[in-house]
Parts: sequence; C-alpha cells; structure tokens
Amino acid sequence: MTEIAADEDAVVIVGSGAGGGTLAYELTKAGIPCVVLEAGPFLRNEDYHDNEWVAFRQMAWLDARTTSGSWRIAKDFPVLPAWIVKAVGGSTTHWSGATPRFKDYEFKTRTTYGAVEGATLLDWPISLEELAPYYDKAEIAMGSTHRHGRPPLPANNNYKVFANGAERVGYKLYATGPYATNAEPYDDRPASIQDGFNFQGDKNTSKWSTLVREIPRALETGLLDLRPDSHVVRITHDAQGRVDAVLYVDKDGGLHRQAARAVCVAGNSIETPRLLLLSESNRFPNGLANSSDQVGRNYMRHLTGSVYARFDKPVRMYRGETMAGIIADEAAHDPSRGFVGGYYMETLSLGPSFLAAFAEPGGWGPDFAEIMDAYANTAGMWIVGEDMPQAGNRITLSDTVRDQWGLAAPNVHFDDHANDVAMRDYAYEHAQKLYEAVGAVGSHRTPPYPSTHNLGTCRMSERPEDGVVDRWGRAHDVPNLFVSDGSVMTTGGAANPTLTIVALAIRQAEYLAAELKAGNI
Amino acid sequence: MASTAAGEAVAAFTLDPAKDDASRRLIARMVQVMYPHAQFGDEPYLRTADAIFAAAAATPAQKVSFVAALHDLAQAGFADLDDAAALGHLRSIEDTPFFGLVRSTTVVTLYDDPDVWAILGYEGPSFDKGGYVNRGFNDLDWLPEPRIEEYEAGR
Repeated sequence: MTEIAADEDAVVIVGSGAGGGTLAYELTKAGIPCVVLEAGPFLRNEDYHDNEWVAFRQMAWLDARTTSGSWRIAKDFPVLPAWIVKAVGGSTTHWSGATPRFKDYEFKTRTTYGAVEGATLLDWPISLEELAPYYDKAEIAMGSTHRHGRPPLPANNNYKVFANGAERVGYKLYATGPYATNAEPYDDRPASIQDGFNFQGDKNTSKWSTLVREIPRALETGLLDLRPDSHVVRITHDAQGRVDAVLYVDKDGGLHRQAARAVCVAGNSIETPRLLLLSESNRFPNGLANSSDQVGRNYMRHLTGSVYARFDKPVRMYRGETMAGIIADEAAHDPSRGFVGGYYMETLSLGPSFLAAFAEPGGWGPDFAEIMDAYANTAGMWIVGEDMPQAGNRITLSDTVRDQWGLAAPNVHFDDHANDVAMRDYAYEHAQKLYEAVGAVGSHRTPPYPSTHNLGTCRMSERPEDGVVDRWGRAHDVPNLFVSDGSVMTTGGAANPTLTIVALAIRQAEYLAAELKAGNI
Repeated sequence: MASTAAGEAVAAFTLDPAKDDASRRLIARMVQVMYPHAQFGDEPYLRTADAIFAAAAATPAQKVSFVAALHDLAQAGFADLDDAAALGHLRSIEDTPFFGLVRSTTVVTLYDDPDVWAILGYEGPSFDKGGYVNRGFNDLDWLPEPRIEEYEAGR
C-alpha cells in the first residue's frame, strides 16, 4: 500500500462504497494518487457471516442517529432510519444487485409531471443521453446480467412464483435481471452458487462490490492510500474558500489531518450532508457549500414496501439470489393510476430472524404467528418506486444526541407525500393480485424497512440556488469540493440507485482527472 | 404448553426471576400466547424467557419494574388462563413497558433460534455446503418454468 504524506495535497475521497470506491479506482487508473478515508473496518469476504443478526451487527452503520416525522420508521425503528454499511466497500457489500437504469423521463420529472403540490421536483441538469455511455461502462464493470453479452441468472423458486404471477396478470417486462451477480464466471469472479445471502455480504465473491473489484484494483496501481477506521469529522478551507484538508478520527479516538487538493465526499446521503453541516465556518455559517440552504434537504428513500404471500405448497424463497427477479411494467409515468412516477417489483427473501423483525414491526398474536408458520411456503417481493422530494424531508444535526466522538448525531426527518402513499397502496394491491393469480392462500403487506436507498440530500442543479452541486457533482460554492454518492440525485427515479451512482462516479472521475491534469483544480 | 404445565403460580415476589423456575415458565407461557406455534414445543419458549430475563436486568430500574410487572402477571392468575383468556389479558397490558420488553426481545430471539428455523423449514447458512445451486434453489415444480430472458418486444 502506498503512503501519502499527511501534509501532501492529495485528492481525498471520503467513503469507499459505490461512489467513493469507483472514483478511487477510476482516478488511480488515470495516474492520480488518492487517499480514501473509510469510517469502517476493512472486512473481507471471508469475514462475513451467513447469519442475519450476526452480519447486521458486523456490517451495519450503528452510530447514533435519530428520526422524526410521520413515516412509520420513526415509530418502529427510531434509532435506525437507514440500513447501510460501515466497512470498506460501503453498502455495495450488502446490496442485492438489481441494476435497472433510470428512464429518460426520470431525469426531467418537473417537466414531465408538472408541478406537484408539496414536492420540490426539479429536472436534472443532465439527460439520459449524456449518462448512457457511462451506464454502459458501469454495467460492464459490474457484470450486469442480460447486458453486454452477460447471460441471465436461472430462475430460483421465489422467481418462479413471481414470474408466473406476472405472466398471469398480464405483465410482460419480467426477467431475472439485470442483476450484478455472475451467472457464469466473469471478471475473475466465480458464478453464483445461489447461497441465499446478499444483505450479509457475499462470501462467494460472485456479486459485484467495490470490495471485490474497484478497491483491490486501485490498490494494485500503487496510487491508493486506503485508510479504514478513519471517520472524517470536518472539512476545512483556506482564506479563498477552497477546501484544503480533512480532519478524521481513528478507531481509538485519535485526531488526524490530511491536506487536500480536492475533496470528494461519498458517505451516503445521511453522512455526506451531516459532514458538510459539521464543517460550518465563518465563511459558511450554515455548513460547507450550503449558501443555498439545500444541504440535507430533499431527502428521498424510495417508495418501498413488501408483500409476503403464503401458498399451500413449498416455495423456499431463501434458496438462491435474493433479488434476481424484476418486473418493469409499472416503472412508467401513467397518472391514470392516481400518482406520478413509477415503481418496480423485485423478488425479495428474508430469513425467519429478519422476517420476524420486519414483516409487521410491533406485531404479535395468532395472525403474526401464522405469517411465520407459513415460512417455507412463502414467496416475497419488494416494491421500489419513485418518492417525491420535499424541502422538509431533511437531514439536520441533533441538538441533543451525540455520537461516540461527541459530534452531533444526524436527525432524519421524513413525512410521506400523498403521492408516495397513493403509489404504495396501488403497488401493494397489484402485488397481492399477482400472487393471488398463482394461488396464494393469504398475503401480508409489510411496511418499508429502514432505508437502504438514501438519496437527494446534496442535489444536482443547474442553478446554484436550487441545489448543492453542479452537473459534475462539483459544489456550486466550493470549486474543489465534490459530492460523489447518491446525495447528488436531483430526483430518485424508480430504479435501484447503485448502477446510477457508479455511472455518475465514472463520469465524475473522467471530468475530475481532466480538470486536475489541466491544472484547473 | 397447557396451563397446567405452567405449574403452581409464582409463590412470592421474586427479585431474581432467572433463578425461579415458576417465573421462567410464566414468561415462557406469556411468549407462547403472544407467538403461538403448536409445533415449537416448550424449549424455544423457555430459551426466549432466559433472554428476556437477561434483557430485563440491564439496569436496577428496569429490573424493579420488570419484577413488579411479573408479580402482577402471577397475581392475575395468568398461568391458569386458557389461551383465549390469556390472549385477552395480554391485550389489556400491550401498551406497558413490560409487554414491550417481552415482545421486542422475543421477536429477535425466538425466531433467531436454529431449532425454530428447522421447524419452520429454513435451512440457514449454505456457503459451506456449496450454496443451494445443487441443493434445490429451483426445485419448485408446481408452476411452469417461467421465462428468464427479458421480453423481446420490450427491448
């Protein structure tokens, strides 16, 4: 591992997940040395546990967080608003793998949907056409099935129920992908052994993550200084308002400073705005890069929900790839359904440990026991759709709660928008109908889990007053500060966000490398 | 776990329910009424009771409140109630911290038990056995084999 001196003005990347890990690889490949500061430990695939709670305690970001708002999460999981990873590789180590692209209209929702009351819809400053070449690169990097010659994954049991139901209710756009887990050996990684564990990390390395691809390859260049257990707590700037260093805490509480030529923040959509807010100064009294007051606002987490259906025959949904089944028919803008935007249906399986905790939080009694008794005969799906950005859905710093370093914990405030509620109800109903079409004897509507798709809190905007970063993810207020994760999403689309985060990071790396080489940064 | 198996009611106020068999069986009965599974037998419920006692002992304040509520449950004759009456009694206390502690501990204990997994038909970790790729990941045979490719006309 290369060592970059603390006083050397380096490109500093905060976070090593889909955004930060991709950026580190693309920049080092282009000959640019980088320091990556990762708050979590350097877990390897062999360190993972095929056990839901053990893995959760090993991988999840469990630092202090608080919640507020009308969303059910605030009641059921008040200290766990989001389920993301604190480790090298970030949340790519526990994601499922679905890789749909945003659709054309999802980059221009304000234009397509018109004004939606209470929503802060805004067109992206970029189009699908501009991002398409980077989507290609991302799909090739990640090995998305059904794309660029990659074969599809086979049908597992949960998919058989899901796809037959789809066919019977008249859906056409169903398949086992696109999904970034190898159906056959690819890119020096083996084919899936259908072991049923994704959220717990993939011991088999068949699933793409920055841990298996981008981080090791960036290390091989000799230009990456990767520092795990390094939790960034402040970004500092010089008298001209350009960032000049980051301060971080090691696992023993020791404080360090790394000088910076440029800083790229990719800490996921709660920690990224939190870090900017914590980095307030005389020049930036409301937080770094926050002259627009948009840092932390417009928090989105996708419209989600699950349906678990019981049959009188075995399904064994837990065998095989967790989310290798996608229906795209409802992922379209069709206001006749009673809402704007669209949603995907995707297969999902939980083990009994998690199903008990999440199927009906707070539930008990004979009805609850019936859900669990039917475990082996249960099929499951996840609903993932576009939720509305709202100014008040927001990450702020807690006045009272502190994390283990004594820093203000982030508070996550979320109120469901009427459009979110209408879409969720419609999606639940159609998911239940799908399962009824293949003989379900009962089904249960499960509320959203702690958020896995956290988006929008440093959004891209054409005009500085509407957002935080420009079309490249460069802060409107600070020329050498970049945001490189899902925080930049102007709106959330319906698609699982990882592919888009990777595509944006590849594009940003190209731009940043050119700017650095031209001496503009 | 019929009501007779809950044995004699808890005789006196106990400060250490973990060492008191009647208390253990009383809590196990409570959990069994909350999460009734005929095929589980007694052991998973008794193991869950032990986890509840451990959770209840986090602080003296919590312990005091827990043992007082446990005493109330015993005095209400809970051990001798039939299933319907027991369920009714629990509905009347479902908003108490005592009930909340029992419920929240149970949900991450009872169903996180390998014996319970086996009864429910969950096989758990598979990596060391080569995954499920040759062990039934696609053995569902009561529906036709579906298409796995994307819809041609939709591409």
